[in-house]
Amino acid sequence: MRSPVGVNVVLVVAGATLFYTYVGQLVPQKELQPPPKVEITQEMTPVQLAKVGDELARGKGMCLTCHTVGHSGGPLRYPDLAGVAERAKTRVAGLDQLHYFAQSVCQPDAFVVAGFAPGMPAIHRPPIGLSDEELHAVVAWLQSQGGQATITLKEKLPYCGGPG
Amino acid sequence: MKLAIVLAVVAVMVVLRLVRAGLLVWLAAWWVGTYAVLRYGFVTPIPASALHIFMAITALSLFAYATSSRERMRATYEPVLAFASESRFTLPLALVAASIPGVVAWSVYQGLQQPLQPPYFGRTVHPSPPAEITSRGEKVDLARAANPFRNLEKTDVQAFRRHVENGRRVYYRNCFFCHGDDLGGAGMYAHGLDPVPANFLDSGVLPMFQESFFFWRIAKGGPGMPDEGAPGDSAMPEWERMLSNEEMWDVILFLYDDAGYRPRALEAVGAEVAH
Amino acid sequence: MNRRALLGIVGAFLLLTAVLRVWVAVNDRAYRAPVYSTQVQPVPREQGIADQQKAAEAKAKAKKYEAPTYRQFPFVGSRVAIWVVAELHLMFAAFVLAVPMFAFIIEVIGYATGDKRYDRLAFEFTKLLSTSFSFTASFGGFLTFMLIALYPAFTNYLMEVFSPTFLPYVLLFFAEAGCLYSYYYGWGKFHPLVHLALGLAINVVGTLIMFIANAWASFMMTPQGISDSGALVDLYAAFDNFTWMPINIHRFIGNIAFGGSVAAAYAAWKFLHAETDEQRAHYDWMGYVGNFVAISAFLPLPFAGYYLAAEIYAYNQALGIMMMGGAFSWLFIIQAVLIGNLFLAANYYLWLGMGRVEGVQAYQKYVKYLLAAIAVCFAVWATPHSLIATTAEIRAMGGTLHPMLGYLGVMSAKNTAVNVLILTTYVSFLFYRRTGKRPTVSWAKLGNLVQFLIFAASTAIVIFYGIYGYFVEAAVRIAFSVPQVLSVLVAMVLMTVIDIFLMRGAHATGETHWGKIPAVSQYVLIFIAVTFTWLMGLMGYVRSGLRQHWHVYGVLVDSSPDAFTPTLGFAANVVSVCVILFFALIAFVFWLASLHDKRDWGTTQSDEPAHGGHAPKRVSAGS
Repeated sequence: MRSPVGVNVVLVVAGATLFYTYVGQLVPQKELQPPPKVEITQEMTPVQLAKVGDELARGKGMCLTCHTVGHSGGPLRYPDLAGVAERAKTRVAGLDQLHYFAQSVCQPDAFVVAGFAPGMPAIHRPPIGLSDEELHAVVAWLQSQGGQATITLKEKLPYCGGPG
Repeated sequence: MKLAIVLAVVAVMVVLRLVRAGLLVWLAAWWVGTYAVLRYGFVTPIPASALHIFMAITALSLFAYATSSRERMRATYEPVLAFASESRFTLPLALVAASIPGVVAWSVYQGLQQPLQPPYFGRTVHPSPPAEITSRGEKVDLARAANPFRNLEKTDVQAFRRHVENGRRVYYRNCFFCHGDDLGGAGMYAHGLDPVPANFLDSGVLPMFQESFFFWRIAKGGPGMPDEGAPGDSAMPEWERMLSNEEMWDVILFLYDDAGYRPRALEAVGAEVAH
Repeated sequence: MNRRALLGIVGAFLLLTAVLRVWVAVNDRAYRAPVYSTQVQPVPREQGIADQQKAAEAKAKAKKYEAPTYRQFPFVGSRVAIWVVAELHLMFAAFVLAVPMFAFIIEVIGYATGDKRYDRLAFEFTKLLSTSFSFTASFGGFLTFMLIALYPAFTNYLMEVFSPTFLPYVLLFFAEAGCLYSYYYGWGKFHPLVHLALGLAINVVGTLIMFIANAWASFMMTPQGISDSGALVDLYAAFDNFTWMPINIHRFIGNIAFGGSVAAAYAAWKFLHAETDEQRAHYDWMGYVGNFVAISAFLPLPFAGYYLAAEIYAYNQALGIMMMGGAFSWLFIIQAVLIGNLFLAANYYLWLGMGRVEGVQAYQKYVKYLLAAIAVCFAVWATPHSLIATTAEIRAMGGTLHPMLGYLGVMSAKNTAVNVLILTTYVSFLFYRRTGKRPTVSWAKLGNLVQFLIFAASTAIVIFYGIYGYFVEAAVRIAFSVPQVLSVLVAMVLMTVIDIFLMRGAHATGETHWGKIPAVSQYVLIFIAVTFTWLMGLMGYVRSGLRQHWHVYGVLVDSSPDAFTPTLGFAANVVSVCVILFFALIAFVFWLASLHDKRDWGTTQSDEPAHGGHAPKRVSAGS
């Protein structure tokens, strides 16, 4: 009638472990791949660059971990990037759109939008560590948020003097 | 919350208290009661996944309660034991045993009755508009453009009403099949569409945007959505192919007028969405 | 008869030879010249073979040495292999570090009160140590070799940074071995104070060892003190990086909780196998103490966890958001299930424990309210922020956020839930402690009232801040967890103090019979141990997995095939394998420890040595 204690104990251990394994399978399953290497060539048009920049913003650049594009409902934690191309032209006196973007990504603490706390890492340094070409792509992507991407690799980005 | 359901559950519990029901009955009542409230008691139903979590926790807690002292354990299993062993319960016991395959079959049937559903893809319902669009050869700066007929509201009320009436005419000829005769987004075709047509009575739609946003949405329709808005999903046509720019502005006037909202002020943009 | 046997042997031999010959013939790959060949070979066969060999030798000689970056582990891959070995090392290490802590404290109690029972209990705990210590060291060596073999470049980099810490680590390990074995074998052989000093030494040395190893692990997550290209600049900064101290504290407390629960599982195992009431009483008491230690250490653990999470945010926001809002956010729902189960099981065990006391149990009637509070808090904690739902359900909700449940998904609700859970567990314990006693002091009524008021006030504060949190900004809301925690801690301290004085000279209404507890309670103890172990494996995964495709976050990138972050389901499988392996090994440890009490081989039943069963007849719980 009574099952042996040893069997019971094994059943409890195995049962509890199985139960937690099962719970682990219930939640959404998502595998994160390391960011792929993106080829950026000299001949790329600004629009093509912006497309690469979009990939970077989602993946390796980790921009969209914090920022939103087109936020709906609830308070903002970090500045929303929708239509940022327009605002960048006039946000800081003396900085045109390109300078403003370059400063925002390479020296994020130089200007912090009112109402937000500083905390963004410089994306050309580790751990994100985007290359110069990739920075161009990200800036092109920013320009395309409510505007037209114009930057090419021929232009030099101010504020982002090398990864070191 | 649907009060009727909650009150019904409470009423049953009160009755159980009055008749001094046994522990087993109470346990069953709590489980069923919790299920009833969670499943049917909310105006917006709780998704099945969350319901399962809650019911599992409830079951676990009730089990813990039933076995947490010798007295309670006895009070729980004695009725079960009696039901299973005493001869006066033979018939009901047989009925219960016989109904088990039926219950299983019924639940399998229920499971198979679930309609097939497409997987859910997240999309931004109101994505940010581009800086400017070209509609019927006319450039419209979406960040700055106001409704060209909005100022008539103050200067020439007669003309303004004419524009609104024209908008009404346009709406009921073109829009109401999906967006509904009361602007509520429940037109006769709405049930076949995913995403559902916009509900203009919702306070999160008209007052949250400037009129130029809706001009963009009407002129460019579903295909004009940016990537995050899933351009292929929406059934909204590109109305610039069918309506003049004036008619589109008119219908926007009508929407605000009929729903009783004011458009979002121009200067407010950029204050909230920053950087 | 003999001839037949001989025939059999010869037959078997012949058969074997035949099989061997067939096998050799089938597998023979040696070259055989075709019999009818008339062709003249341009190069004589022997010459050709020699040339070939020479060329192969020359090629082998000329082969350039290339330092490999990765090597592959067969079947499961390098990552899973390292993962399992590291986790098992960690589990045994946690156990070995934790058990001496409470063994030492119990021994101190025994020494101070002169009560032999405590001494025996401390020894019983220590018995589990020696095998576990060997396992820890073996798994440590295993892990080191695996690292060198499978991840040579990464291991080399860590050595580059931390080489000065290796020698002290090894020396401390020797010291730990010395202290631990003399503590164990010298039980009762030295002056008690000398023995206590040894016990203290194990703990100090063990903690130091853990601190050093934590520096390596935390450096991988939040590296500091190095240049942008990864060269070491400041060893001290690399050592004392952002998450080092939080992890020290978190692991220190977590180890005690884990060790206590595993020791309780040992007691449960012995209880279930006990043959006499005396043994049952002893092991019931031991399980109770182990569980008491585990739950007491468990209560402050969430706060240590917050501290760790806050430091991760401070180091790098993206890392913090990845943890709480990104791919790992669902992991915390699994964690909620585990912790909810722990709280429920811990309370359940206390309620069952009331059954040890004879006579009327006045507090049994409150069990249902405590249970209701736990169930509600559990449900709140396990409610995800964005729900899994079908298309129809999402349409009905207008998004993945439910208009009402959405409120339960945020930090305010979770903080409130965990604080109430802690309070409830504490109240359960208080009720358990009081069962079978009636206060005799004159101010008993007033005392009870004050205790209740403190409890009510603390709950009110927790819930008030929980609700208020919805109306303020995130930055303010985070700070709300401080008053919530403080009110709970203060309430617990105050209520304990009042209770100690209130119960002084209390009139006993019923005897406490250790061992008189339903057997299911012992399975609960084992369940708690499994849950703790699984929880440890899961949280170890998030701490380590958070780095994603980095060996050292932002410094050394992982370019191996295992660089991707696996799904939570896969992680859950690996954690389960670790847990099963750990329990298999710990069962072996338990078995070895129980050999002590076994009859010597060859002796009869009558001269069986006395069991460790000088059971306490009546013990005031938790003292």
